[in-house]
Amino acid sequence: MPREQMPEFSSSVKLKYVKLGFQYLVDHFLSLLLIPIMAIIAIELLRMGPEEILNVWKSLHFDLVYLLCSCFFVIFISSVYFISKPRTVYLVDYCCYKPPVSCRVPFATFMEHSRLILNDKPKSVEFQMRILERSGLGEETCLPPAIHYIPPTPTMDEARSEAQMVIFTAMDDLFKKTDLMPKDIDILIVNCSLFSPTPSLSAMVINKYKLRSNIKSFNLSGMGCSAGLISVDLARDLLQVHPNSNAIIVSTEIITPNYYKGNERAMLLPNCLFRMGSAAILMSNHRSDRWRAKYKLSHLVRTHRGADDKSYYCVYEQEDKDGNIGINLSKDLMAIAGEALKANITTIGPLVLPASEQLLFLLSLIGRKIFNPKWKPYIPDFKLAFEHFCIHAGGRAVIDELQKNLQLSGEHVEASRMTLHRFGNTSSSSLWYELSYIESKGRMRRGDRVWQIAFGSGFKCNSAVWKCNRTIKTPKDGPWSDCIDRYPVFIPEVVKL
Amino acid sequence: MLLKEKTIMEDRVRLICKRTVVSTKPVEQGRLYRFSVFDHVMEPNHIRLVYYYRTSKTREPGEITKKLRESLAYTLNCYPIVTGRLVKETDGTEENRWKVKSNDAGVRMVEARATGTVEEWRRSVNREEELKLVHWEDMYHLPYYWSTFYVQVTEFESGGLAIGLSCTHLLADPVCAMMFIRTWADLTLTRNMMTPPLFHSLPPRRFTSHKLSNNQLLSHYIRSCSLTAPPSNVTEDRMVTTTLLFPDPMVQAGENEQGISPFEILSGLLCVCVSRAKGKRNELTDMSLCLDVRKLLRLDQSYFGNCMVYHKVHYSKPVTTKDRLLLLSYVVKEIHNVTKGLDYDTVMDLVEWLSSNNNNPISNGSDLVCINLENMANSRPMMFEEDLMLSHVSCYVEGPVAGGGQAIVLPSQLSEGPMSRVVMVTLPQREMVKVLEDELLQSFSPVLLMEYTKLLNQ
Repeated sequence: MPREQMPEFSSSVKLKYVKLGFQYLVDHFLSLLLIPIMAIIAIELLRMGPEEILNVWKSLHFDLVYLLCSCFFVIFISSVYFISKPRTVYLVDYCCYKPPVSCRVPFATFMEHSRLILNDKPKSVEFQMRILERSGLGEETCLPPAIHYIPPTPTMDEARSEAQMVIFTAMDDLFKKTDLMPKDIDILIVNCSLFSPTPSLSAMVINKYKLRSNIKSFNLSGMGCSAGLISVDLARDLLQVHPNSNAIIVSTEIITPNYYKGNERAMLLPNCLFRMGSAAILMSNHRSDRWRAKYKLSHLVRTHRGADDKSYYCVYEQEDKDGNIGINLSKDLMAIAGEALKANITTIGPLVLPASEQLLFLLSLIGRKIFNPKWKPYIPDFKLAFEHFCIHAGGRAVIDELQKNLQLSGEHVEASRMTLHRFGNTSSSSLWYELSYIESKGRMRRGDRVWQIAFGSGFKCNSAVWKCNRTIKTPKDGPWSDCIDRYPVFIPEVVKL
Repeated sequence: MLLKEKTIMEDRVRLICKRTVVSTKPVEQGRLYRFSVFDHVMEPNHIRLVYYYRTSKTREPGEITKKLRESLAYTLNCYPIVTGRLVKETDGTEENRWKVKSNDAGVRMVEARATGTVEEWRRSVNREEELKLVHWEDMYHLPYYWSTFYVQVTEFESGGLAIGLSCTHLLADPVCAMMFIRTWADLTLTRNMMTPPLFHSLPPRRFTSHKLSNNQLLSHYIRSCSLTAPPSNVTEDRMVTTTLLFPDPMVQAGENEQGISPFEILSGLLCVCVSRAKGKRNELTDMSLCLDVRKLLRLDQSYFGNCMVYHKVHYSKPVTTKDRLLLLSYVVKEIHNVTKGLDYDTVMDLVEWLSSNNNNPISNGSDLVCINLENMANSRPMMFEEDLMLSHVSCYVEGPVAGGGQAIVLPSQLSEGPMSRVVMVTLPQREMVKVLEDELLQSFSPVLLMEYTKLLNQ
C-alpha cells in the first residue's frame, strides 16, 4: 500500500537526517563551540574601539622577566610534548606470496586423494566433502608439494623446503619493491604457529640473507592465526625504543607437517581449509619514510580470553585415540569468537569511534543500567570509523558472524570473502592478502582507515588500525595481479561436488 | 630344476613418488563429454607407450622432471577430457553408457629413477622390465576416482629420460596418445602449442541416400563384437614381445608396384612366418589390420578419440604355392586390397551399425593383429628440450583387441632411411622362437632391438 509505505519512508528519512545532524553536532562539538566564542570576542573588540584596546594592552605590565619566563614556559611545554609523543610507526610496504600454479588443488583432486588415502574410512571422506562444499574456497587454492603426493610425505625436510619457498620468495619481492638492503634490517620477527624447527625460521632467514650479527630477531610460534598482529605489536614496541630502525615481519603458516592423518571429524577441518601462503612486511620509524610509506599504525589492541576455560580449550592441539596429532576445533567456536570480539571492541571503541557514537553508546549504557535493563544494547556503527575492513579469512562462518555482529555490508567483507575463495585460509598472512585485494581494486585513498581483525587460538582477538598515508595506485604485480579482474565472484552457499 | 636363464636383476627402476598433475586454469565445471561409437567398442583395452630420449648434457637429478611436470600442467589446459573422470549417466536419449565429466581432477604422474643409461637399458631389457617404465592401474572400484591417464617420467642416472604414457582405450587410440605427447613436447620446447587437440563427435554421413549394404569391415565387427568368451586356442603359453628394426623392407621384398607401403610388406611377411610357425601347411593365419581412418573421414590428425578400425584380411584364393616369396607377394597384394578398398562409405556403414545395434566391445579372438602407426613420424622432431634426442618409441596395446598375436609397425627414429620401420611383435613363445629363426624373415636382415627372455623349463 503506497500510502502506508509513504509515512514509513518519510519517517525513516527524517530519522536519517536527525541522526546525521546529531552526528555532525557532536563530532564537531569543539569547533562548533569555538565559532560563537570567536564571534563574541570579535564583537567585543569592535565595540571597544582602538584607544580602549591600547589601554588594556598597557595595563598588562609587560616586563622582561615576565616575558622570558613565559617564553621558556611555552618552550618547555612543547618540548615535553614532542618527547613524550610516541614515534610514528610506518608500514613502508609489504609483499604476499603467490603460490605457483603447479601447486593448485581443485576440489576434485582433493576429494580423490582423500578417497584414495582414507580408503577404509568413507564416512570421513564424506565429511570432508561436505566441509569443502560449504567452505567458500575456490578451485585455485594451493597446497605445498609434499601434500600432493599419494600418500603425502610430511617430513621435516619437506616442511623446511616449503618454508624456504614461501618465505624467501616473499622476502625477495619485498627487497626488490622497497630497495632495501638486507644489511639494513635491524629487527626481524618471524611468526609461524605450527612449525618450529631448530634453528628457528628467523635463523633460517638470517642465514639466507646474511643479515647483521647485531640484529634483533624473534621467532613467535604456537600463537595461532592472530600471530601476525602480535608481531606487528612487538615491532611497534621495539621501534619505540630503537630510533631510526627498520623492522621486517614475516607471517606465515607451514602446512606440510600438519596434515592430519586420522579420522576424527573435528580435527579434519583444518586439512580442508588451511592453504599455503605468507607475507613479508617492512615497518620503520625513519622520518624520511613518511613520504613513501603506505600506512601509519594508529592503534593496536590485543585481547586475550585465555583466562576462561572454555575459550582456552576451544582450539586445542591433541592426539586422537589412534595417536595422530591434529587440531581439535570445538563446536562453540563461533560463540567464543563473538565474545572475544565484543571484549576487543569495548577497548578499541573509545579509541576510534567518533564522539557521537560514543555518546550514544554511553547514553544507552546508562539507560540500561539505571532505567530499564530490557533496552537493546546500542551497537556502535563502526562503518563511521573505518573505510575498509580486513577480517581474518578463517572460514566462511567467521566472516558471516562478524558481518552480522558489526552490521557490515557485502562490500565491506568482500576482501575477506574473496581472499578465502582465491587463497583459502592462509592463517596469519590472510589479513595481508585482503589488504592487497583492496589496493588492487584501487579503493585505497589517502586518509582511509583500515581495521584488521584477527582471531587465534587461546582464544585471542587482536585488532590493528592503519591509516593510509598516500593514495595507492593499482599495483602491477602482487598476488592478485592476474585474477583481480575476475573478482568479485559470486560464491554459492553450497558447491555441488 | 635349473634356475632360469633370465638374470635376476635387482630392480633397476626405483619409484620416487606418485602425485596428481592438474591443469593450470580451472575448467568449466560439470561439462559432460560423450564417447563416439569407436570409443565404446574399445572399452576393455588399454595402451602403453614409452618414449626414450638420450641426452648429451648432464643434468641435476629431478630438474627435467620438474620442468616436465610444469609443462604438463600447461598442456592439460587443452585436454579437459583427459583430466576428467568417467561417470555412467543417462542423459536424455543415451542409455547408461560411460561419459567423461570434466571435473578438473587431473592425471596421475609417477616419478622414477633408473640406473645406467638409456642405451644400456634398451640393450638389456625385456617386455616385463620395459613395462616398469609405464605406470598403469586397472579401474578402481569407484570409477569416479580413477585416473584414465598415467604419466611416468623416469630419469636415467647416467643420462637419458624415459616418458611412459598409459591410458584406457576408451578415451584414446595410439594415434592421439602419441599426438598428446607431441603437443606436450612442443609446449615444453617452444611454449607454443602447434597442434592443439580437437574434440568433437564423429561427423554424420555426408550423403544420406546411401543404403546400408553388407561389407567385409562390417561383417568382421558383427562377428567380433559378439565374441563373449575368449577363444579356446589362446594358449597358456606365455606371450612374449620382441622389437625388430627392418632397415629397408621395400628393397628386400623387391616390390616395385606402386602404392605398397612398408606396413603392408611387413604385415605380409609376419603373416607368412606366423602361419608356418603355427604349423599351418596350406593355409594362412587369420589376420586383422588396424588402420587409422582419420583421413578417410576427413578428420584432422589432431582429432582426439578413437578413429582406428579393424579389418580382417580375406584370402580370395587357396594357398597352393610352396615358393615363399610368391606367397609373400600374394599376401601383400591381399593386404593392399584391404587398405585400398577401405573407403568412406564402408566406414560410415560401420559407424551407423555400431550406433544402432551394438553394445559390446570388439574382440579379435586369436587373429594376428597388425597395427599401422608408420605415419606417426613427422618432419619436425618431437623434442622436449634442445639436447634431448628421441631415440626409440615402444607401444603396447593390451586387452581383448590384441588378439592371439600382435605386430605394431612404428616409424624408426634412427637415421636408417625413410623406409625403415620398427616392428613390435607379440606372439606366444613357441611361435616366436620359430618366427625369429624363419629364413624368410632373416632375409629382410632385421636388427633385434629388444629380446624376449626365454624360460628354460618351457
